[in-house]
Amino acid sequence: MFYRRAGIRHTSYRSERRLWRLPFDRGLVVAVLIVLLILPLVVDRLYLVGYLLPWVIWSTAALGLNFLMGGAGQVHLGYGAIIAIGAYASAHAARFGVPFEIAMVAGGLASAVVGSAFGATALRVKGLYLAMATLAMQSIVDFVIIHVPAISGGGQATLRVPPARFLGIDLTEDVRSYYFVLLVGIVVTLFVLNVGRSSFGRALAAVREKDYAAAVIGVDSFRFKLLAFWVSSFIGGIVGALLAFCYYRAISPDQFHLDLSIQLVAMVIVGGLGSILGSFFGAALILFAPILLNQAVGALAVSSGLGISADLRAHLPLLLYGAMIMGFLLIEPLGLAKIYDNIRNYLLVWPFRHAPR
Amino acid sequence: MDASLLLELAVNGAFIGMMYALVSAGIVLIYKTSGIANLAQGALAMTGAYMAWIGGTLIGLPIWVAAPLAAAVMFGIGALIERFAMRRMIGQPLIMAIMLTMGMEIMLRGLMPGILGASVKKIDIGIPNAPIILGDILINRTLLIGGLISFAMIVASILFFNSRLGVVMRAVSDDQTASWSVGIRVERAIAIAWGLSAVMATTAGVLWGATQGIDWSLSLLLIKALAIAILGGLDSIPGVLIAGIIVGLVESLATGIIDPIIGGGSRDLVASAIILITLLIRPHGLLGREHIERV
Amino acid sequence: MKRRTFLTAAGAAFVGLQIPIRNALADDKVIRFAMPQDFTRVYTFVTVEYSQGQRDYISLVNAKGGINGYQIVADISDHGNDLPRALEAYERAKAQGAILVDPLSTPVARALVQRAAADKINLITAYSGRSDAADGETFPYVFPLSPNYWTQAGLLIDYFRQQDGDLKGKKICFVHIDTPFGKEPIPILEALAAKQGFSLQTFPYTPPGNDQSAIWPQVRRAKPDWVVFWGAAVGQTVALTEAIRNGIPMNRVASSVWLSESDMDVVGRAQATGVLKVEPCASGQSPKIIQDIIKTVIEPAKGAGDRAKVGTAYYNYGVMMAALMIEGVRKAFEKAPNGPISGDWLNAGLNAISNFDAEGLIPPTTVTNTDHQGGGQCRIARWDGSKFVPATDWFSANQDVVWGEIKKSSAEYKASGK
Repeated sequence: MFYRRAGIRHTSYRSERRLWRLPFDRGLVVAVLIVLLILPLVVDRLYLVGYLLPWVIWSTAALGLNFLMGGAGQVHLGYGAIIAIGAYASAHAARFGVPFEIAMVAGGLASAVVGSAFGATALRVKGLYLAMATLAMQSIVDFVIIHVPAISGGGQATLRVPPARFLGIDLTEDVRSYYFVLLVGIVVTLFVLNVGRSSFGRALAAVREKDYAAAVIGVDSFRFKLLAFWVSSFIGGIVGALLAFCYYRAISPDQFHLDLSIQLVAMVIVGGLGSILGSFFGAALILFAPILLNQAVGALAVSSGLGISADLRAHLPLLLYGAMIMGFLLIEPLGLAKIYDNIRNYLLVWPFRHAPR
Repeated sequence: MDASLLLELAVNGAFIGMMYALVSAGIVLIYKTSGIANLAQGALAMTGAYMAWIGGTLIGLPIWVAAPLAAAVMFGIGALIERFAMRRMIGQPLIMAIMLTMGMEIMLRGLMPGILGASVKKIDIGIPNAPIILGDILINRTLLIGGLISFAMIVASILFFNSRLGVVMRAVSDDQTASWSVGIRVERAIAIAWGLSAVMATTAGVLWGATQGIDWSLSLLLIKALAIAILGGLDSIPGVLIAGIIVGLVESLATGIIDPIIGGGSRDLVASAIILITLLIRPHGLLGREHIERV
Repeated sequence: MKRRTFLTAAGAAFVGLQIPIRNALADDKVIRFAMPQDFTRVYTFVTVEYSQGQRDYISLVNAKGGINGYQIVADISDHGNDLPRALEAYERAKAQGAILVDPLSTPVARALVQRAAADKINLITAYSGRSDAADGETFPYVFPLSPNYWTQAGLLIDYFRQQDGDLKGKKICFVHIDTPFGKEPIPILEALAAKQGFSLQTFPYTPPGNDQSAIWPQVRRAKPDWVVFWGAAVGQTVALTEAIRNGIPMNRVASSVWLSESDMDVVGRAQATGVLKVEPCASGQSPKIIQDIIKTVIEPAKGAGDRAKVGTAYYNYGVMMAALMIEGVRKAFEKAPNGPISGDWLNAGLNAISNFDAEGLIPPTTVTNTDHQGGGQCRIARWDGSKFVPATDWFSANQDVVWGEIKKSSAEYKASGK
């Protein structure tokens, strides 16, 4: 109906290889982008700082992790530690007087170096064993940050970041931070989208599907896994810098605990493994479901006047949140992106039920 | 550093390691049969402990009735989880099934404290606090009994794998399709594995609940248990026992030897180092089977 | 088909969730407090009782007609100790016009310090947040209003000194959770050790502290004169249990404000007899203010929670904090009866609290522009098997060392972020 075509028809390879193949999709992307650009000017600061800003940052992080987990098939349970390295490296660099632009890249590089050095050792194993190895990395990084006051920022373990200026624009104000974060998010998204179309992306896909098979056809699986670790850790480091400079503005070790890593893995999986769109959906669901459920339960408790106990009132959102994750996975194991895709496919061939082949 | 302190730490560490191993054994049981790492094992332990608390404190049964009753209920819950959640994930990517158990973990963590109250509950399993003193060495009675019960449970599960049903389950873990074709009811075997794993979780939950009180933080046992399961080899129950004892011992000794030097709680660091080193030297854990991949 | 039903259901659920976020209140005679707290994660051990106390006290004030005809509205929500959620709750509070936020979580409080200062919203960080926030000059909008951990450590050491006469040559063991929170008192303890000549041995345990079996044998072998254990939730009960198992005399064991009756239930009420804690306010149901709450709020069944919890240590902490906040409102009305009601306005009121003792519930508390801690008075209480019994009167001690540390740390804070 919206797509005005019953079936998929490309008349040239060029059109088939385009980033957004259908005019409607192109229009949708542009429309979403325009909405994202206008929103901060029209909505209250609550929605900007409470929803938009974290959503874009977490989506970028999920993209970085999804690149590794969905793109190269390597599970990572220590992505929070990667983000922490980026945050601390960039914050310390900026405190030394390094301009923010360079500090941010330095944060990314620091994460990339540590992340892939670690990956090089951990890549001897795969699957669950790799998950455990990355989990070990998380606890080692946590330990180091907490126990080296020079990193964590003294007895209170809180490090204030200096005000950031990007190309002369002051980023301490929330609207400007948002635009900057959005810019980074768009760059990362475009990068990840395009990697999928390059030989690098195809090599990663081969490694993901079966690394031995990839080796047989001449893809050096170790090298590509390591490259995937490098790229994904770099993105993680950049996200760390964004978190430190544009969102928290004061960083402490609690912000990058195992909880963050698990949250990100949940975003990737609930959104859809390997799906770029899914990273955005997953981030939105995992970030906002607890908040919205809390408000809904709170409002219900007030309006219905039911005397539910404070404990139940507090834990009901958690329960529903867990049930929601389960529900989505039971109904569509391939994640939210797949649900979107199903709707899209349905509409794509509407009014027919299947595309003519 | 005097020797008797080290001996004391080693003995108590070994017992506590066995208590961790009991949680891990549940993970291994499920992994062995269905290839899924159950991230809800900690939450199952918590749920089991709450169940025992319902029986023991709310209803007022003596603990030796309440705990087996809770274990029986949990067997049913475990089997139901398999029937209504995990079975629907067959044929889906493994990571999705694992994530499902993660969602279950979150749900249980909301369900039990939400219904029964978030404040810490006490469960008394009748072990006096007075320690056993051997010369200069003091043995923690709760850890001793907890460790021995865990040990017994793990040994029982090793024996179980030699029984008829156990052989069936080994067959299932070897090759599900082949088991099917010789008439084994694969789903039933997996459901039983979930039930037994929930029983182990309950035992672990009650033992840990007795040492630390019952609240949501029992579900944090998962991380340590997973580490031990990996170290021992995800598909080996004897491996888990050995790994548990090693981790318990080394952690305990590290607390005594390394902590004063670096001025921090090195326990988790040491555990992480053990895992990394094992994975580098023996990627499939101590006794785990090497997974042969076909291309 | 199934999928489509699901999609419809999901859509309906989504629409249902769009509950108006801003529930504007028609009447303007309202003062808003926001209490996004952690009900489900790290602070579960305290939040339910603490929040219950706060709400019951606010109900009491409202039942008596409010302050100057203004009703106090407390918005309770759960932030689960998760920072994005907490920031959302904070922004929501701000959008709804709250002039005070009480997050009761150290990481959240630390993350909010700068925002609160920029937005001029009063941030209450009782028993949490930055210890150096006691310095009102550096943190004008942050109010601990309660003795910080440095003060608590200083008070305990002074109590030991009172008991033993002199601490020279004594040995004190400090068993703590290995997080920034647990390590916080160490500088104070070290300074006092140098000053008073006792030796200090510290034992960190790995968070969350459910297994401390390797720590306490070492403590036992160190043969300490006093043991201080420092943690929260499960770490506290496990520490105490292990201390009992290792035969450390309970009357030589002490902890911070984080010990409650329910911890004693877990450890065993009789076994823990003798253990010491820092008490920032009276516990039990006997204080007049608690009696008032029982009469006006609990008995007409308007209480916020389980009646059995009324008068527990953490419940009374909640009452204490609510009483201090409302005293701030009262003072603000004294200073500027016509408002306008704003963060600034309340700030002036909170800074003017003087010699307020909540009818005997808390020590006389005076907050000034420079001292947001409120004087740093507490008492030491001893568990007698069924309740905490005060072992001392309200007192304050070693404040010179504490303030030295506060000033040092707040100067560091000022210097950073430039």
